[in-house]
Amino acid sequence: MSQVKQKKSTAQSNPLFELGKERLELIGKHADALMQGYLEGQVSESVFSQQALQKLLDSRVLFYPDEQSLSLRPIVNELIASLTQDERKRQINSDVGEHLDQIQTRVQSLQAARQKGDYAASEHHIQLLTERVNDMTGQFGDAIESLWHRLNTEFGFVSSLDDKILEIELAQRQLRRILDGFGIINFDDLIQLAGSDGTLRKLLVSQLQARISEHSGSLFQVQKRLVLLMARFRQQQDRALLINRMSAFLRQHPNFQIGDYPNRSQVPAVINQAHSINAKAFIALDRAQDSYALAELARAVPREQEQGSQSEQQTQGFAVAAQNLVATEQKQLAKDVEDFFIQVIESPQALSGVDYLAERELLWEPEMWLFQIVAEYEGLPQQNKRSFMLEKDSAQQSRFNQLHIIQDVTVGMRFFGDFQAAG
Amino acid sequence: MIEHGPLLERLLEGEFICAVTDEHSFHKLQNDELVDDLNHFLRPLNRRVAKNDDGSVYFLAYCDLTPNARQHLSHQFTHTVQSLLPMLEWMQLVQEALGRDGALSAGDTIKLQDFESKVVDNQSLIQRLAHLANDKVFKSTSDKADMQIKQVFRRIKELGYLHQPHKDRLFFIVTGKVEQLIELVRFIKDEENLPIDDETPEQESMF
Repeated sequence: MSQVKQKKSTAQSNPLFELGKERLELIGKHADALMQGYLEGQVSESVFSQQALQKLLDSRVLFYPDEQSLSLRPIVNELIASLTQDERKRQINSDVGEHLDQIQTRVQSLQAARQKGDYAASEHHIQLLTERVNDMTGQFGDAIESLWHRLNTEFGFVSSLDDKILEIELAQRQLRRILDGFGIINFDDLIQLAGSDGTLRKLLVSQLQARISEHSGSLFQVQKRLVLLMARFRQQQDRALLINRMSAFLRQHPNFQIGDYPNRSQVPAVINQAHSINAKAFIALDRAQDSYALAELARAVPREQEQGSQSEQQTQGFAVAAQNLVATEQKQLAKDVEDFFIQVIESPQALSGVDYLAERELLWEPEMWLFQIVAEYEGLPQQNKRSFMLEKDSAQQSRFNQLHIIQDVTVGMRFFGDFQAAG
Repeated sequence: MIEHGPLLERLLEGEFICAVTDEHSFHKLQNDELVDDLNHFLRPLNRRVAKNDDGSVYFLAYCDLTPNARQHLSHQFTHTVQSLLPMLEWMQLVQEALGRDGALSAGDTIKLQDFESKVVDNQSLIQRLAHLANDKVFKSTSDKADMQIKQVFRRIKELGYLHQPHKDRLFFIVTGKVEQLIELVRFIKDEENLPIDDETPEQESMF
């Protein structure tokens, strides 16, 4: 505990501590303006006071790339991109040579310090060396993480397919560079460098090797996924192109004659599709054991004549007082609705009123049409009514009243379901 | 064989079976032994179970190309070719309206409401829709965009390129039959040596 405190106080006594803290705070203080600059590519001088601007320039946060424009320094841009996983701007730094050189120098200084017996200096060198090794592996880790992140979002940060394909190509080049970086690390040299020193061996050889092989493993996965994704994007691109060009061609050549493939000696597989066969079956009374089921069916069939006369009676109520024209229209409407009900009887599934209206291209107002269907249904004699199932598709118009507006009605035959359930 | 009756019946009725329309049957058809059994049964009907190039859709094809079979194929091929341009235009329209990256493929979902709201916001899409709906494949006489859309989608569903999982919800999934159509388009392009690759030679070199 006291050791930690002591360490802390030595860190704090370092002059870098105050300066670094001050600069980090400076970035925090101007976070709004700096983020604005990050997104827009340049910073407007007018948002800072003269003093603040000077401070940001001195702190190496901002700089003038040329006389007119003010920008974030590349390293600040990179910091923000990395913190926010912004793949548009994130950079992959795969330079390994520099790190290896530094490691070599650091090990030499360390050995020199040890020979002199300077314990404090060698401690310091070990710390720097550890940091350097961590920087190097962390850099690989970041690069791989960035690749994964882009893969998992399927390069969603660019919108068009062409851009995505370019991005994948870029990612593949980055991956190649990382792998090249791995190639530069020569463990034989590192083993020699570490010599018989246990700490160094652990740091430079066993730990590093474990990390690198872990990274290689995930890079291999990334590579596989990149290839798959590329194939998929290419296929999509290919397909969209094919569709666009074929339709353009067919539009330009309306009289284009396609070959008579079905009558060639070798019929291509792609057009060999057999025509449909409907295996129909009819009521047969030659087997005694079926008679009960057939009788059930016969009983369940609604009587159409009865239904017809009933609906005419019912529509008369509307027609009597109305004018002639309205009466004819009303009759036509009632007839169309009747046809709809007949269609329902013939159809194996329930029918939607609105769909039927559209399908037959009838000219009735949908509202009037639905009303008439409901009226017809309600007007049926009880026993006929039981044969039908009417469902209203309605939605509450507003939360503040109980007004429901019927958007559609679905009418189906009930006896099918019941009969099947019983049988 | 009794248990495969319904599947056989659907195939005989001319249905295309894919992972979208009927996942269970689709997996059953991936079993070669079962396909052999079905083919044995289908032999007297001059039919066999066939699949497209990438095996994403199953359907029935003729075993022997008898004059009768050829006549049916001719008839059907003419129909397919007639509906080719409208189908391709529809695919383009959906892709553009919904702002999709690639062309429609099996398993893509389309919410009619989304499509409609995108189309009615854009005058050029409205015109293209009206033009498409007027085609004899879709035969819409309405001049209202929502009716035209309903009619177009209903027809494409009838043609087997769309699957509607819930009868009362206007939500569609593109079926594997679309893959078969694309294969046909590619086939025609190659077979007829259509000059449609030449426009962008640099693209070609990328593949």
